[in-house]
Amino acid sequence: MRPPRGRGGGGGFRGGRGDGGGRGRGGGRGGGGGRGGGSAMRGRGGGRGGGRGGGRGRGGGGMKGGSKVVVEPHRHEGVFIAKGKEDALVTKNLVAGEAVYNEKRISVQNEDGTKVEYRIWNPFRSKLAAAVLGGVDNIWIKPGARVLYLGAASGTTVSHVSDIVGPNGVVYAVEFSHRSGRDLVNMAKKRTNVIPIIEDARHPAKYRMLVGMVDVIFSDVAQPDQARILALNASYFLKAGGHFVISIKVGVNSLQLYVLANCIDSTVPAEAVFQSEVKKLQQEQFKPFEQVTLEPFERDHACVVGGYRMPKKQKA
Amino acid sequence: MLVLFETPAGFALFKVLDEGKLSKVEGLWQEFNSAESARQIVKLKAFSKFENTSEALKAATCLLESKPSKDLRKFLRTHCDGETLAVADSKLGNAIKDKLKIECVHNNAVMELMRGVRSQLTELISGLAGQDLQPMSLGLSHSLSRYKLKFSADKVDTMIIQAIGLLDDLDKELNTYAMRVREWYGWHFPELAKIIQDNILYAKAVKLMGDRSNAAKLDFSEILPEEVEAQLKEAAMISMGTEVSDLDLLNIKELCDQVLSLAEYRAQLYDYLKSRMNTVAPNLTALVGELVGARLIAHGGSLLNLAKQPGSTVQILGAEKALFRALKTKHATPKYGLIYHASLVGQAAPKHKGKISRSLASKTALAIRYDALGDGQDNSMGLENRAKLEARLRNLEGKELGRAAGSAKGKPKIEVYDKDRKKGPGAMITAAKVCIFLFLFSFFTYNPAADSILGLMENAASKDDEEKPMEEVAVGQEKKEKKKKKSKKADDERTNGNVEAENEESVKKEKKKRKKQVAEAGGENVEAGEKKKKKRKHSEANEEESEVPSKKEKKKKKKNDD
Repeated sequence: MRPPRGRGGGGGFRGGRGDGGGRGRGGGRGGGGGRGGGSAMRGRGGGRGGGRGGGRGRGGGGMKGGSKVVVEPHRHEGVFIAKGKEDALVTKNLVAGEAVYNEKRISVQNEDGTKVEYRIWNPFRSKLAAAVLGGVDNIWIKPGARVLYLGAASGTTVSHVSDIVGPNGVVYAVEFSHRSGRDLVNMAKKRTNVIPIIEDARHPAKYRMLVGMVDVIFSDVAQPDQARILALNASYFLKAGGHFVISIKVGVNSLQLYVLANCIDSTVPAEAVFQSEVKKLQQEQFKPFEQVTLEPFERDHACVVGGYRMPKKQKA
Repeated sequence: MLVLFETPAGFALFKVLDEGKLSKVEGLWQEFNSAESARQIVKLKAFSKFENTSEALKAATCLLESKPSKDLRKFLRTHCDGETLAVADSKLGNAIKDKLKIECVHNNAVMELMRGVRSQLTELISGLAGQDLQPMSLGLSHSLSRYKLKFSADKVDTMIIQAIGLLDDLDKELNTYAMRVREWYGWHFPELAKIIQDNILYAKAVKLMGDRSNAAKLDFSEILPEEVEAQLKEAAMISMGTEVSDLDLLNIKELCDQVLSLAEYRAQLYDYLKSRMNTVAPNLTALVGELVGARLIAHGGSLLNLAKQPGSTVQILGAEKALFRALKTKHATPKYGLIYHASLVGQAAPKHKGKISRSLASKTALAIRYDALGDGQDNSMGLENRAKLEARLRNLEGKELGRAAGSAKGKPKIEVYDKDRKKGPGAMITAAKVCIFLFLFSFFTYNPAADSILGLMENAASKDDEEKPMEEVAVGQEKKEKKKKKSKKADDERTNGNVEAENEESVKKEKKKRKKQVAEAGGENVEAGEKKKKKRKHSEANEEESEVPSKKEKKKKKKNDD
């Protein structure tokens, strides 16, 4: 068990949220291990979400008895559902026998006697899992895909994305905070399809050397200018006709104290904020396809999925 | 034109075959849809492969700082003669331009070109398959991020942040333990809790004493002052506590040991924090003290982060909850956060706490920046500023004393600025109203004076019949202005009056108007001189009359105001 870190080591005024890494305003997010990743952190609530708590409780409770559990493929390729006493979202473990963040694992025996291990994917800790359970049409992250993951934090979700894309895909995981970056690099040591990048997602030029063209960008940077960050990264690395998945959070006001004007204001009703973000994306050759709310897993969150520089429809 | 493209495997130089295509930025990406069309636009000119990971790491770290590495310079020198070079980073371009005298370009078209090259990279660079690139990028990224984590800039601050965190935890823990000792031993000797207030002394006394019956025999002089010792011994005799066994006492004593060792450890840790703070942020420490300084750093995340905050933020750091509540409810924002515990703020009277906290915060912000980014190693700047702040504090308090003594009685009272008060037209209206009142007032005050003059006039008129109404008017005017002349003789009045009348013509228009009114009034005055009885009535009428033109003037005044 890690000793509790003062105020999550957050920068500026966001200490309480355990958010905000090394720099005043920004830089990835999830300052020192705010989010999962630690050895015995329970749920996400610990570091990050004041009041969001909830944490675990569900998922993985009675997921042990291997014989009783049946694993079925999910609608999304690479994602599976374990049907036991309770249903749980799982991914096929790329590194059998290892848990990344003390999540539960399920071993299932195939007919030919080979064993396959799955890891339970907790929607309370991962926004992507929450989006999948929220019924998003397509996450575009599939086996063999190349994914740029912005705001990787300690690499809990990244590990599942790496499970999904499999050995033929690549996940470029960008995280700015050194504290969570440490866990990320540790995780990436075991998974050769994850390329850890300890850099500010605001400056894609700094990691232009490492990253090739990608099929999907997943962005989970809780920053006021997250749309701009996504656009910048897409202009560097996202192929034409590629897709983006962005999780949007209301109430990220990094509080340049009185300069609330250009921040997302937490007092603005939730829907309006989502709308304005979506509009920002459209201006940048992004075409949003759909939007799902992440309730009840994440409060005040939504997930927007869309395409970038989509080719014009032929039949028009 | 050449394009410099960095890959994890090495540097690549591409020759742009058709520069005309670059002018159409929007359509450029379509050219890169297929490998064939891409080859029509760019062609690989040269490729410099990294020999090993360490070389790649060196090149990558140089690129992070936007500097061309040695190998890159050599590579460019050999392959890039007299051609412009397109680069992905304008700063890198400038550095190349300075060092190698190669013209560099960086614009939207270049970025679009880079995008295209990236999308067709494996096709464009022969002998570099996708599966080769992947391990290169994996190896490079791992070594790069290890390098970054190893040379983390804020590692010194981390020590302070952890130490202050531990210090707070220890304080909490120490208090819990000490309370437990009191509670536990209280069953045996409840009176002791009242006699010894200090937790550490309490633990020491309990450890020494054990059973309270031993109290009389023991010498507490090393721990306690004399009178407390006497009190303790007295209370031990007549205590109403229960008896406890030796085993219980043994456990209580062990807890006391824990408390004492924790206290000792805390003192040690505090010394460590002090020395750390004095080396890392000497000026900040000089201004606000070690503890507050360390808390500020911990709150900001690192000293460098804190250096980026303005003084106003430093002032309320730690009071976010109050701040947001205030902003939401549109109330006054908090005046201090963590900085409240600084000794300077503590010294100030409650009235000046806000003011001194603001001044302190701005100086603190400067000191933090100086510590984080300056070259100075001593705390002279902090001490200097502290002296200034102390002077300001004395100044503030001195002012307060002076005011209380009444020496500043003539000073206008400074009104508290209220942003909610009406501004603009509202204020104008009130100003106009005040004007009206002033005018009315001036006429009201004039008339009674005229009355009194009337009385005098009668006397004068009875003495000297030659007096003309006009002169009287002048006199009246004069009297109005300078009462002391009232008592002068009629002859003097006449001459004076004439001069006055001449003067009167040369003065301002407003005065002319007044003169007119006075003339009217004077005309009536003459009549009044003839008919004494109606005097009062006339004066009333006079008042009414004078009111009318005064209103006119009001209007004019208003217009002028507008």
